[in-house]
Amino acid sequence: VCAWHPCPSTETALGSSDNLEHRRKDRQVRLAAFGINSILYQRGIYPPETFTRVTHYDLSLLLTTDPKLKSYLTNVVSQLKEWLFECTVQKLVLVITCLETNEVLERWQFDIECDKSAKESSAPREKSIKTIQHEIRSVIRQITATVTFLPLLETPCAFDLLVYTDKDLVVPDKWEESGPQTIDQPEEVRLHSFTTSIHKVNSMVAYKKTESA
Amino acid sequence: MDLEDDTTILTTLKSFNSFISRPEHPQRLSEHSAGSGILQSQYKRSMELLEAAERVHSKNRYLQLDQEKKQMELSHKRARFELERAASDSARDLEHEVDRNQELLGQIKKLEERAEEVNKKLTEQKEANDALQKNLEGLNKTLEERDDKLGTANQTIRSLKDEIRELRQKIQNQDSKMSAQTLENQELQEKIDLQQRKYQEVSQLCQSLQAAQSSCSDHIIKIKELERRLVFQEQDFAIVKTVKSEVARVPDLEKELKRLRDDNAYLRESRENCSLLKEEVEGLRKKLERMEKTKEELINMELEKERLTEKLHAWENLGQSTGLNISVRSVERSQSELRAELTQQHSKTLEEQKKREAQDALVRRLQKRVLLLTKERDGMRAILESYDSELAPTEYSPQLSKRLREAEDILLKTQSHNAEMEVCLQACINILFFFALLNSVCACIFFLRQKIEDLERERQRLEEQNNILEMRLERHNLQGDYDPVKTRVLHLKMNPTAIAKQERQQEVEALRQEVTRLRDLVRSLQSGGAVGHSQDDTHNPSFSLSLAPSKEVLDLRKQMESSELRNQRLKEVFQRKIQEFRTVCYVLTGYQIDITTENQYRLTSVYAEHMDDSLLFKKGSNGSMQLMETEFSKTLGEMVALHLHHQKSIPAFLSAVTLDLFSRQTTV
Repeated sequence: VCAWHPCPSTETALGSSDNLEHRRKDRQVRLAAFGINSILYQRGIYPPETFTRVTHYDLSLLLTTDPKLKSYLTNVVSQLKEWLFECTVQKLVLVITCLETNEVLERWQFDIECDKSAKESSAPREKSIKTIQHEIRSVIRQITATVTFLPLLETPCAFDLLVYTDKDLVVPDKWEESGPQTIDQPEEVRLHSFTTSIHKVNSMVAYKKTESA
Repeated sequence: MDLEDDTTILTTLKSFNSFISRPEHPQRLSEHSAGSGILQSQYKRSMELLEAAERVHSKNRYLQLDQEKKQMELSHKRARFELERAASDSARDLEHEVDRNQELLGQIKKLEERAEEVNKKLTEQKEANDALQKNLEGLNKTLEERDDKLGTANQTIRSLKDEIRELRQKIQNQDSKMSAQTLENQELQEKIDLQQRKYQEVSQLCQSLQAAQSSCSDHIIKIKELERRLVFQEQDFAIVKTVKSEVARVPDLEKELKRLRDDNAYLRESRENCSLLKEEVEGLRKKLERMEKTKEELINMELEKERLTEKLHAWENLGQSTGLNISVRSVERSQSELRAELTQQHSKTLEEQKKREAQDALVRRLQKRVLLLTKERDGMRAILESYDSELAPTEYSPQLSKRLREAEDILLKTQSHNAEMEVCLQACINILFFFALLNSVCACIFFLRQKIEDLERERQRLEEQNNILEMRLERHNLQGDYDPVKTRVLHLKMNPTAIAKQERQQEVEALRQEVTRLRDLVRSLQSGGAVGHSQDDTHNPSFSLSLAPSKEVLDLRKQMESSELRNQRLKEVFQRKIQEFRTVCYVLTGYQIDITTENQYRLTSVYAEHMDDSLLFKKGSNGSMQLMETEFSKTLGEMVALHLHHQKSIPAFLSAVTLDLFSRQTTV
């Protein structure tokens, strides 16, 4: 399980909006991590026995136990949290590459519209566990549903996480610029977009057309 | 111990036997020796020996029995042990059985409980059934009631239908009445319309009357106004006539006015120039003051210069008087410095002088200009005073003055009239201007409308283009494109894909290396098998591990080769030996024995007349040799009969044949 503190059952209102903002971003980042874990499990990038069930928000969720993968995810997720707080993130993309041909086979893209004015507008009220559960469930349900029509990944694959940020951002230490890694002539499927308390997240998945015999 | 015992027994028995046998001899030898004492002693000895033998025997028996007992104890123990084990096993089995028993008991209990529960449920179900049945009965009752109600309802319906029929008839009657009334209504309406039309006509006539009346009143007012205007105009005409002559003077006055205005403007300009010049003069005065200051400074400088020259002279004098103490160089230096200062001061003074002269010239010029201007001003003042004096009355007759005053009044009036006319003109001009403006505005509006339409069309086109481009952008965004000016795509350097690619690369490299190594190894093995030892040295030390098996292989090969060599040598040796033996046999016996087939031997004599004269012998199953029929053997019938059939000796037969052939050879 990633090194996150266990969350309280309901998040109560606090006096300073800054702390609430942190909690919100924390939650979104956790949501992103759950989604990523779910995709990795469903697409079989890592063997299913390396995933374990973990209880968060009274839901049974899958998280990886591979230590290298866990450290990588924590790195990315912590940086993403910072950027989300500054509202400099535009997109989060999960790219699945075939190792034999070095082609991109699948591309999961999450467009994040950050409401920069939402820091003070929405009143600091309680976010009940039901809404949180609903968000998480909707994300994971969509991912699971898309697996039904995505083509099988038969060759060994690896994944990568790309972040689309503003240009004037200072590139941190361990990060580097990479290409968009798009698919050649993809099939695109738009997923049901969902809104959290401040963000609107549009998600879509693009995959390489299989040559059907 | 048994063996030892046996050996002791045997030895004792032997000794006993020996003892028994020995006394025979001594008995024979010494029959009439000691006599009964010896015999007694012998008998005693023999008895003792017997007893000893018996003791030994019994000891032996005892030992045997002991051993058997021990064995039996051992076997007892083993049997006990096994029995115990069996007992423990059976105890364990018993326990298992007991446990199973208990489990089964427990299961039985559970089943009993379940049976009870099932029973309870059954009873409950039965109760429920009863309840349901009661419900059913109740419902049936309600159904019957409902049926009754339905019957009553049907009856009421029938009665209501009858009522409805009656009501319908009433309605029809009323309808007919209504239609009659509507007809009446229509007639009345038509009458009303007629009345209304008449009323409208009357009202129109009233209105027209009123309008006519109002227009009449307006006309009357207009007429009055016009009459008034006529009166005024007549007055005006009278005035105008009287003034026409005076008005002839107006253009001249206007010309004078114009000239005065020009003069005024010119005077104003000159006044401004005056003020400017005054400022210049002030500036120049300040410059003058500064110049004077510089002059004073110059004077001071000259004074200083004189003082310095005096000082110089004094110093020179000093120098001359006390030439020893003061160094010439410093004096010269000071002199040169002073000279430089002097020249500087000179140049400065010259510059100052030049500046002052320039300033003086400027001042003089300005003063001249000022004088001219003041003269002009005086002249202007004089002209104005002369005008004033001219305009002052030159004592004409009072009538003239009166006329003048009247003329002035008329002038004023005309001026006012002029002003009014001008105002009217202005208003007309304004109106014209306004109309022109309106026209232009309309034209503008028309032009603007067209422009608006064009712009609208342009806007629509641009909107469509915009939509198309936005869709394209959306698509590209979906595919993951981004605007390099605004966004950047980042990822961690050590990401799983990169790591996996690296590992793959390393794997591929390792595999390649292994492939090359194995290829070399295979080649070495293929070549190493043929060559042998020498290859070992030329091989790469890295193949040392792989050579270990090949070394073994080489050793084995060497062994094989050596064994083969040995075999071959042995074969050669055997062959040689066999060949020797055969030749010896041939030489000694005179027959060459060949094995044609299994168990068939062909003998060829050394003295054979023909090459294929041979005897065939076959080895039978019982081991005996039998002669076979051949061409040669047919010629030896006698010998066969004699030696083989009669004497039954093959060697004799063979030697007879040899002798026969030899004799034939030698004689012939």
